[in-house]
Amino acid sequence: MRIAQVIGKVTLSVQDPSLTGGRWLVCSPVTENRINQACTSDAMVSPEPSLVAWDDIGAGLGDVIGIVEGAEATAPFDRDIAIDAINVAIFDSLSHQPLPSNTDARP
Amino acid sequence: MIPAIVTGHAVSSHCHPSLKGHKLMLCQPLGADGKTTGSPMVAIDLFGAGLHSKVFVSTDGLGARSIVHDEKSPIRNFIQGVIDECA
Repeated sequence: MRIAQVIGKVTLSVQDPSLTGGRWLVCSPVTENRINQACTSDAMVSPEPSLVAWDDIGAGLGDVIGIVEGAEATAPFDRDIAIDAINVAIFDSLSHQPLPSNTDARP
Repeated sequence: MIPAIVTGHAVSSHCHPSLKGHKLMLCQPLGADGKTTGSPMVAIDLFGAGLHSKVFVSTDGLGARSIVHDEKSPIRNFIQGVIDECA
């Protein structure tokens, strides 16, 4: 699951019938140095490529979400659906404390 | 399986039902030199891995679905074990 921030949405007037019922969000992956501030800050575009993800939880602009990519994105559906990324969680808070460079991992 | 270090945790009150009740940990992958590399990913934790523990994270969706006992879970990453020692 990757951490991303919602920066917009996509509206489709013509789409495959299997895609009805959900929303599409434009998401920008949250880079390591912004993880701790992401939940309290406004939507920001990161240098990493943005992606479009299916949403049926109800995330809005600026929300920090968890995105699952790949075949697992289609797992919640009981129909064949052509999606590659899905929003599975809206994060309330994130805590990231990177390991100081001069210390070893805890056993 | 990806070797990683637990660098934090995530809290989500609004998530897929299969995620409810599981700890969500931020895991940062380790490169060949043993240093962290890339952005952290979120994985579910079953073993109680602590902060800065060295773990390995599975990206196997089928295994993750059986762990959360939900055939329709989109979960993909889970902490498969805590590494004591790498020779």
